[in-house]
Amino acid sequence: MMMDKKTLLEDGLLEQYMLGELNAKECEQIEQLLLSDTELKAHFNLLEEDFERIGLENTIAPPEFVKSQLLDAIKPPKSKDTLIVALQKDTNTKFYLGIAASVTALLLVGSFWMYSQLNDVQQQLQTVEVNNTELNTTIETLNTELERNNTFFKGIVNADTEQYILSGNDLMPNAKVISYINHKAKSVVINTERLPELDADHDYQMWADVEGEMINMGIISKDKTLMTMAYIDHTESLNITIEAAGGNDHPTVERLVTNVYLR
Amino acid sequence: MHLSYFLSAFIYIYTVMLDMDEHHFTFGKSLTLMQNDSKLIELLRIKDERALSALYDKYSGAIYSVILKMIRDEGKAQDLLQQTFMTVWEKAESYDINKGRFYTWVYRIAKNKTLNVLRKNNPLIQTDDFSVYNKKEEAISIDPEYLELNGAVSTLEAHHKEAIELVYFKGLTHREAHKAMNVPLGTFKSYIRQALKKLRETYVETLSFMLLILNAL
Repeated sequence: MMMDKKTLLEDGLLEQYMLGELNAKECEQIEQLLLSDTELKAHFNLLEEDFERIGLENTIAPPEFVKSQLLDAIKPPKSKDTLIVALQKDTNTKFYLGIAASVTALLLVGSFWMYSQLNDVQQQLQTVEVNNTELNTTIETLNTELERNNTFFKGIVNADTEQYILSGNDLMPNAKVISYINHKAKSVVINTERLPELDADHDYQMWADVEGEMINMGIISKDKTLMTMAYIDHTESLNITIEAAGGNDHPTVERLVTNVYLR
Repeated sequence: MHLSYFLSAFIYIYTVMLDMDEHHFTFGKSLTLMQNDSKLIELLRIKDERALSALYDKYSGAIYSVILKMIRDEGKAQDLLQQTFMTVWEKAESYDINKGRFYTWVYRIAKNKTLNVLRKNNPLIQTDDFSVYNKKEEAISIDPEYLELNGAVSTLEAHHKEAIELVYFKGLTHREAHKAMNVPLGTFKSYIRQALKKLRETYVETLSFMLLILNAL
């Protein structure tokens, strides 16, 4: 665009410049002309002055709140306020964190308690199981014993049972063995309660005398007071000798401690 | 013609004198305030809120008037006014007092902001299709008092007044405005030139008349 003073004035370019209608390049050219030409600058000053005057003559008062909003908007954000908000947020977070931590802690403690309880219960259960097994064993033992005792009792109290007492001879004057013989049931039960104890190397052995021959009836157990011995037909007498531990095939007659003849 | 013009100028002065206590006594007021502008602008540059407050008090009415006449919506105009002065606050450093008056600078900011809003609302605005613009104008209702022109410009002949109104108050470019008035661009430019010349004369006469009265008093 050719820019001289005349064009500028006639074309209304100064007005357009003032109103911001021109592009950057045109603005620059006009600004340079205004700098160099004082007359033109004076003209522009009047133009602007009138423009402002027209504007001020047409004032419409805006509502008061626009100004107060504007002044509020330009105020730098109060760091104090921000800080309070931040702190509040922080406190809230801490509060919720605190609750969460408490709940977690409670759960943990609860879990530990439950775990220890579980362990206790398991131990108790084990004890109970052991006890139960022991009791069962005891019951079994007792039952066996009862059964045995019943058998002995029945055998002893039976009407067909005959009682023979073997008293100790000179070798063992204090010895006394009671024997119960049932010829019908073919059973022999002896009570060795009063038989003196032997050392570990020796056992009492019982013999039946049948027509002059000594037949083994069995070794007398050291830990029982009542026991069954072998029944031998046609037994004439009962004899007890002291033998080496484990018994012997033939009785050591020199060590006969007691005997009894059957009726 | 000259007599009626003088008469209208007299009436104008008379009104101004009557309203002396109010803001409408703009002539005297602007004279005193203009002297303070550079001081206020210096303070504005260093982010003095009182400077913004004073400059707002001085110019917000004129700027609000322009925005209202452009956008014809009080709520939007108030938003735009606030935004304009926000920009004034933020961009105070970029204002060059040697290139033009403070009012002109603020006016341009307000006009650009308002045009942006208008363009956003209707992309056809600022194109050659002025029927759209006119329809838009008719569609929005606003207190007609806000659209009336006061002061010296109201004493102009109708076509001069309209020409000034279109470019000074409605934000149209010269190229848009001549189409809106349905006259050739050259004719429109001469309307503007004549209108401004008459306004200048009015103001000069007003000034002499004022001085005369002041002397008499």
